[in-house]
Amino acid sequence: MNATNTPMDYLPIVMMFLVAFGFVATTMFLTHKLGPKRKTKIKLESFECGIHSEGNARLPFSVKYFLVAILFVLFDVEVIFMYPWAVNFKDLGLPGIIEVFSFIILLLVGFYYLLAKKALRWED
Amino acid sequence: MLGYTITQWLFGILSFLAIMFALMVVFTRNPINSVLYLVLTFFCIAGHYLLLNAQFLAVVHIVVYAGAIMVLFLFVIMLMNLNQDTEPQKTVISKVVAAIAGGLLLFVMVGALRGSEQLQIKQYGHSDIGLVKNLGNVLFHDFLFPFEIASVLLLAAMVGAIMIGKKEIK
Amino acid sequence: MLNGISINMYIMLSAVLFIIGAVGVMARRNSIILFMCIELMLNAVNLLLVAFSTLHVDAKGQVFVFFVMAVAAAEVAVGLAILSMIYRNMKTIDIDELSKLKH
Repeated sequence: MNATNTPMDYLPIVMMFLVAFGFVATTMFLTHKLGPKRKTKIKLESFECGIHSEGNARLPFSVKYFLVAILFVLFDVEVIFMYPWAVNFKDLGLPGIIEVFSFIILLLVGFYYLLAKKALRWED
Repeated sequence: MLGYTITQWLFGILSFLAIMFALMVVFTRNPINSVLYLVLTFFCIAGHYLLLNAQFLAVVHIVVYAGAIMVLFLFVIMLMNLNQDTEPQKTVISKVVAAIAGGLLLFVMVGALRGSEQLQIKQYGHSDIGLVKNLGNVLFHDFLFPFEIASVLLLAAMVGAIMIGKKEIK
Repeated sequence: MLNGISINMYIMLSAVLFIIGAVGVMARRNSIILFMCIELMLNAVNLLLVAFSTLHVDAKGQVFVFFVMAVAAAEVAVGLAILSMIYRNMKTIDIDELSKLKH
């Protein structure tokens, strides 16, 4: 933790992103350039055994996924408050534990509520 | 390099990209493309956080915004099966009016803020305030009460989302 | 200090991002895009908070961004739940058609 932290320390990460992105871009470019192209109507259609494909590939899907996603976001935000506590666990000591547990207990009330409402039940 | 340091180059590139992607969010017709451009904008903003020595915040920003909130947006758009064909458009005149209003607002803001002092941000030195340990210290000493209240807020949001989003209980 | 970036640049960047969000709210009719533009505006404010926190070498600004993120998440969760409910009942999320309260 005593080492100096400058934005330049993150240059390797940026390099890695650039290399990863560049690799994908180059490969895609090359395959498009090198590969032969025959753009007939049948080739451009999605493969469906004998039947003509119809409609959009994106179908509306069930609302059940949606509640799970919402609850995931809310519990995900919780994490940004937990990391600082976990890193400072020894310095904060018992008061820290009490503070964070009162935080978690309120969220557990919400968890209990969603279990009681059967919000995570898949079949209905 | 032309009298600019590498930090200034990075700032310029990231700002340009962030503004371009933000404009694309507003101007693309397909809502799914809008979401993807917003994710790219968030990545540029995370890059800005790194430049500002806010390392933990950069990571959290990507995890929460790009990882969770934008996925939720994508879910809702796919849930409603929105695409370019169903996208409602405002009339041209109201779009022009919106652009003019935005331009005027920008003009006022730039005019009001231009005269402020030219303070330089120290990019090097005192650079450990963005680390998790430091943030935790501040969070659990100065901002303890808001932290507890945040849990009430999240609880309320949870209950509200379930109340609204759940179909009638049998 | 020539190698730094002046705070004015960050103020300008945040102002531009904020205004792009505001124009998006005015110019679009899809309520989901409206929500996204609001997120963009919140992020412009976050960026400025972090910039000033670095300028004054004070971590409070960054802790404040945590709370903005928590509020944004709560807002998105409830807002999108409301939107999906509206869509289920009215089959549209066009903001100009959701004007039943007017009449």
